[in-house]
Amino acid sequence: MAIRAGRQRAFRLNKRLKTFFENSWTELIARWILGITFIYASYHKIISPGDFAKIIYGYDLLPDGLINLIAIILPFVELFSGLALILGIYPLSAALIVNGMLLTFIIALSINLVRGHEFDCGCFSFGETGYTSSAVQLLVRDIMYFFLGLQVLFYDRCRRWCISQGR
Amino acid sequence: MRYKDMSKGLIILLGLAVIAAFTANFLLPKGIALVGQWDESQGVITARAKDDVVDDDLEIDDVEIAKQIYGSGEAVFVDARSREDYEEGHIKGAVSLPVGQFHDFIDAFKAQYSTASTIVTYCSGRTCDDSHKLARLFFEQGYTRVSVFIDGYPGWEAEGFPIE
Repeated sequence: MAIRAGRQRAFRLNKRLKTFFENSWTELIARWILGITFIYASYHKIISPGDFAKIIYGYDLLPDGLINLIAIILPFVELFSGLALILGIYPLSAALIVNGMLLTFIIALSINLVRGHEFDCGCFSFGETGYTSSAVQLLVRDIMYFFLGLQVLFYDRCRRWCISQGR
Repeated sequence: MRYKDMSKGLIILLGLAVIAAFTANFLLPKGIALVGQWDESQGVITARAKDDVVDDDLEIDDVEIAKQIYGSGEAVFVDARSREDYEEGHIKGAVSLPVGQFHDFIDAFKAQYSTASTIVTYCSGRTCDDSHKLARLFFEQGYTRVSVFIDGYPGWEAEGFPIE
């Protein structure tokens, strides 16, 4: 009897979660949070690519020849995918790009966390000299954004306020 | 269809981003070179931005040479780091002139050291360009004999040279 009641509760919870994730407002909010975050994150990198290049150098993961190219291109990939998410232009592709970037950040942060390498993440602003954010906090935040990206990516119904549905 | 659309979106978004990125980098006053100087053995690291302050010709890249200049007593060593870093430890006899507060302190500095003085700036090593920024500000004030000791306080301290 108790097992049956438990199964029913699990079934109801599962149904509620399914309804929540299939709700078009949930998808819209996830898409806009990601979009605004990435546009905001791109701003200071675009106006000050030299400082951003130094932040990339600080991660100590990329060959020297790639640092400047990444510093030039990455902020615009953030900007364009953020805009595409908000406006609903190729939302699937934009979510894929954003999650690709988030996965890269998560791997980079994890590597530096494991090897105890101190650095400035440079995510939203450039820290003062010697300023280091908590890598664990950054990691948790990026993982949360990654799940928002998955919501956009796996949502397969009609999206709200989209210029192109991208389905 | 879904994957075809997604691939098309990826190509369009990434293509536009790359074109916009290189155009903006070319037009913006803070644009950077395609390849920077990221080898610390070659000097202070820099993205080689259009407004770059790093000037290789000013650099003293050997701690021993810096020590000789220091030993001659003819140069004023100027610490470009924050006042807190300076108070934690600095080259013995160095003057603190944090680069962010240059204009607050330069008049007092000038009253003590004329523009004919030999100045050696330093900060916290080869990943730091504050000493170069400070050197540029000194040139703007009319100082002509300015050098940058690029190994900074960590390099000096590592050699066991006088600190306080």
